[in-house]
Amino acid sequence: MAKTLTTCPYCGCGCGLYLSSNNKMLTGVFPSKNHPVAKGSLCVKGWNSYQFVNSKERLTVPLIKKNGNFVEASWDEALTLIVSRLKDIKNNSGSDSIAFFSSAKATNEENYLLMKLARAVFKTNNIDHCARLCHASTITGLVSTFGSGAMTNSINEFEDAELFLITGSDTTAQHPLIGTRIINAVKDKGAKLIVVDPRKIELVKYADIYARQNLGTDVAWINGVMNVIISEDLHDKRFIMERTEGFEELKEVVKDYTPEYVEEITSIPADTIKQIARMYATHKKAMIVYAMGITQHTTGVDNVRSLANLAMLTGHVGFPSTGVNPLRGQNNVQGACDVGALPDVFTGYQKVINPEIRKKFEKAWGVEDLPDKPGLTVTEVTDGLYNGNVKALFIMGENPVISDPDSNHVRKALQNADFLVVQDIFLTDTAVYADVVLPGATFAEKDGTFTNTERRVERVRKAVDPPGAAKADWEIISEIADRMDYKGMKYNHPSEIMDEIASVTPIYGGIDYDRLDPWGLQWPCPTKDHPGTPYLHKDKFSKGKGSFVPAHYQAPFEQPDEMYKFSLTTGRLYWHWHTRTMTERTNVLEREAPEPFVEMSMEDAERLSIKSGERVRVTSRRGSVEVKVVVTDRMKQGNLYMPFHYREAAANVLTSNAIDPQAKIPEYKVSTVKVEKL
Amino acid sequence: MKMYNDIRILDKKKIKDLLKSANSEWNIYAPIEGIGGDVYFDILPKDDKIVDEVLNNLSIKNNSNIALSPKDIFFPQMEVLFNIDKDDFTETIESSPKLIFGIKSCDLKAVLFTDEFFKRNYEDVYYLSRMKNRLLISIGCLTPPRPGSCFCTSTGTGPFLEEGYDIQLVDAEDFFYAEIGSEKGQIFADKYSEYFDKRTDGDTAKKDINKIKTKASDAVNLKVDFDRAVELMQDDDFFPNDNYKRIGERCIYCGACLYTCPTCTCFSISDTVSSNKEGIRFRNWDGCVFEGYTREASGHNPRYEKYLRTARRYEHKLKYDFKVTGTSGCVGCGRCLESCPVNIGMSKFIVEITEGKRII
Repeated sequence: MAKTLTTCPYCGCGCGLYLSSNNKMLTGVFPSKNHPVAKGSLCVKGWNSYQFVNSKERLTVPLIKKNGNFVEASWDEALTLIVSRLKDIKNNSGSDSIAFFSSAKATNEENYLLMKLARAVFKTNNIDHCARLCHASTITGLVSTFGSGAMTNSINEFEDAELFLITGSDTTAQHPLIGTRIINAVKDKGAKLIVVDPRKIELVKYADIYARQNLGTDVAWINGVMNVIISEDLHDKRFIMERTEGFEELKEVVKDYTPEYVEEITSIPADTIKQIARMYATHKKAMIVYAMGITQHTTGVDNVRSLANLAMLTGHVGFPSTGVNPLRGQNNVQGACDVGALPDVFTGYQKVINPEIRKKFEKAWGVEDLPDKPGLTVTEVTDGLYNGNVKALFIMGENPVISDPDSNHVRKALQNADFLVVQDIFLTDTAVYADVVLPGATFAEKDGTFTNTERRVERVRKAVDPPGAAKADWEIISEIADRMDYKGMKYNHPSEIMDEIASVTPIYGGIDYDRLDPWGLQWPCPTKDHPGTPYLHKDKFSKGKGSFVPAHYQAPFEQPDEMYKFSLTTGRLYWHWHTRTMTERTNVLEREAPEPFVEMSMEDAERLSIKSGERVRVTSRRGSVEVKVVVTDRMKQGNLYMPFHYREAAANVLTSNAIDPQAKIPEYKVSTVKVEKL
Repeated sequence: MKMYNDIRILDKKKIKDLLKSANSEWNIYAPIEGIGGDVYFDILPKDDKIVDEVLNNLSIKNNSNIALSPKDIFFPQMEVLFNIDKDDFTETIESSPKLIFGIKSCDLKAVLFTDEFFKRNYEDVYYLSRMKNRLLISIGCLTPPRPGSCFCTSTGTGPFLEEGYDIQLVDAEDFFYAEIGSEKGQIFADKYSEYFDKRTDGDTAKKDINKIKTKASDAVNLKVDFDRAVELMQDDDFFPNDNYKRIGERCIYCGACLYTCPTCTCFSISDTVSSNKEGIRFRNWDGCVFEGYTREASGHNPRYEKYLRTARRYEHKLKYDFKVTGTSGCVGCGRCLESCPVNIGMSKFIVEITEGKRII
């Protein structure tokens, strides 16, 4: 029985845990007592993270589709086919007819290699991953206001906060060990809690103020809060003068958003807006916490900027237990962004359009002519496959059929691809469309690093071998590069890949595997003697002065009408993870939440004569699902909620692919639907 | 009733050599300190070249905070019951010789408790095979490893025991007094007499040992009225509704309290089979706080509400274990409180119902 210290594969909390194993398989998991986030605890998913690894449904050999069926193949056959097809497509249709989806579940080293493969070998910037679907608006929004797109403060700082403003984050479901810190601070230390969410989430029971806004009206309520703070003279004039620019423009915009006007738009009572403003402004250690409810809108970037404006207005940034804290969902979505698996940047958010940066990477990678224009985002790739501009797609560790908006469109697009490769650990809903399936390795079966939501780069350690002929993803990518005659991916161990990342990435400059023992390092960590950075924007913002970037309210893309009377929003449960490929293979989790459902308000249920447990058909402009109803007071009249985990009633069959024009993130949070009894 | 009066001296400097020596005969599980200071039971490698490196991190401090009790040595978190190959299956049972070195008194009591559980009503061949060939060498704590959470003097399960161990080690700074507690322990001490020195002045040793044990008991700072709690819970009319409701609401259903509890034994059984009909039937740790645990095939759930599941947990440990076995399931190890991310734990529940306070 060995015990291997590693990092949880589920959420962005990045808890440290031990994998127990005998010489054949994992036998269990337990938390690290001394790990700064775990502190001896895990959530139910972490505690059960051994089970899916041991599933006999794991992919163990490469598969090639012949005559519509998958046939087992050798690695040589599979990789030879991949290389020859991609070479053909590159020669016939150009580099940009190929695209790559990287994985927010895979390690930093693997994300770096896949984007290096796309850029250095295939000469395309068409590399993106699911951050596009979750926090792309955060990156754009916070870079323009603060200069850095990451969570400003650290997880342990929640313990000393005096106030939390939580909006668009079901924290106890999605980031349990951050949710618990909030609960403890509120219950045991008297911290104040303000929750603004269209759904009555679990944390509402602890809230001092709960505001249930109309879907997609966040710019309005946040501007309203700022309006009150300014008119009641509660803003931090000194901070504004010394640390920011653009205050006059902000004042000009928010002066229209009186509490009464905001009430009309959002349905939040004017008085509540005032209470929120006063409470937030008058507590020094005030933390804004947000997630998908803010980002997944056509106005996602504006929503994020408005929160940043609010924090700067009150001087609640650049100090411990303050800040603007976007909670990154996946275990390594922060890392995947940091190491450049994005179409417009290399590692460390260094832009591809910058010729100096391109020269630096050309030198590091031993190539010339790195592509100089930003590539396609994931939804643009889907459209590209659909209309034939994109011919080939290589997917590592993503399941767009369930996770991307407008599933029917995604399926058609994938079917239309000339060549599709999916590298994963299970035969997912997406993998069934592939021409070649490659068996990858889980977190328990390889070395590497993940970066959690508080910018902590942490070690992932191999505890057991991958099953059958499955391989670590970094090895697979390296082999493809080698077969493409590229000599720049000859690594003996992932630590060498991290050394390379550090050499080209200022924010990771001081990181190497020795320094990561025992509990990792929080970037920015520019040099070998730098201790890492718990909170950002101390004394000055990453860009120098923070910029107020005010926004006006714009309605969501889809508004209820005669045909589609309901507004549907989507979310995640505590028990399941995203497209459920790992958690459906975990008996305790699957048992706790075995079925999809749609939440409907009591008023609507009564009006339509629907009872809990009855099945209905929910239809949007894009598709239709049949699902059982849960009647609840969690949703207000006119709104519906569905978790997106279940292929049996996939919420994303219904969701709209209207996107934020700047960040290109889809508006998952607002789609209009109609409901019919079955 | 103590049958063995033998007390030996075990020089601390010789422990590594003792373990290396015994490693050929036994699979040795000892507390190892990992990179960041966490301590956990790990099996010593057989390879001479690596075992020294592992033993450098041996943690035999008198207050080692060992993350999980050795429950998972006999009852793994996930264990294969049998391998499936098309229409054939082969059971996986093992009874290799296991030496558990450095187990704490509370955990040892818990092991004896789970031994009884897996024999009672139905003989669990998997557990009983694993524990068949076993030696337990305990180290009593001189100071609480989980101060503020563990309360063994209140549950009568530590810091030292009168019986149940094969050998009980009492920390006397440079050496351990080794109290032999069973025939197996006697045989071991005799076989490895090179390390278990016979030279002791019996009476002086006993006085010294009693002094150490008394000091250790005094050092356990957290005390709760455990007997009163058990007494209250026996009463069928006693149902602390308000306490259960508050706990049920605060709980986030992570399962830590059950997973870390040395006497929790609930499990689920599932199959995982590949497309060519090969696979395993396995069992893994489950628990009563989960809603689905008591959900019936019809969909009805007699403990759907959260407070009923809280009640389930505390009634099991403080009421029904006692009714059925005469011993309570709680050994005062404090791991439930330590691993709970929202600061709920057995000691707090006991304070609530015995002192009428609201601390959860």
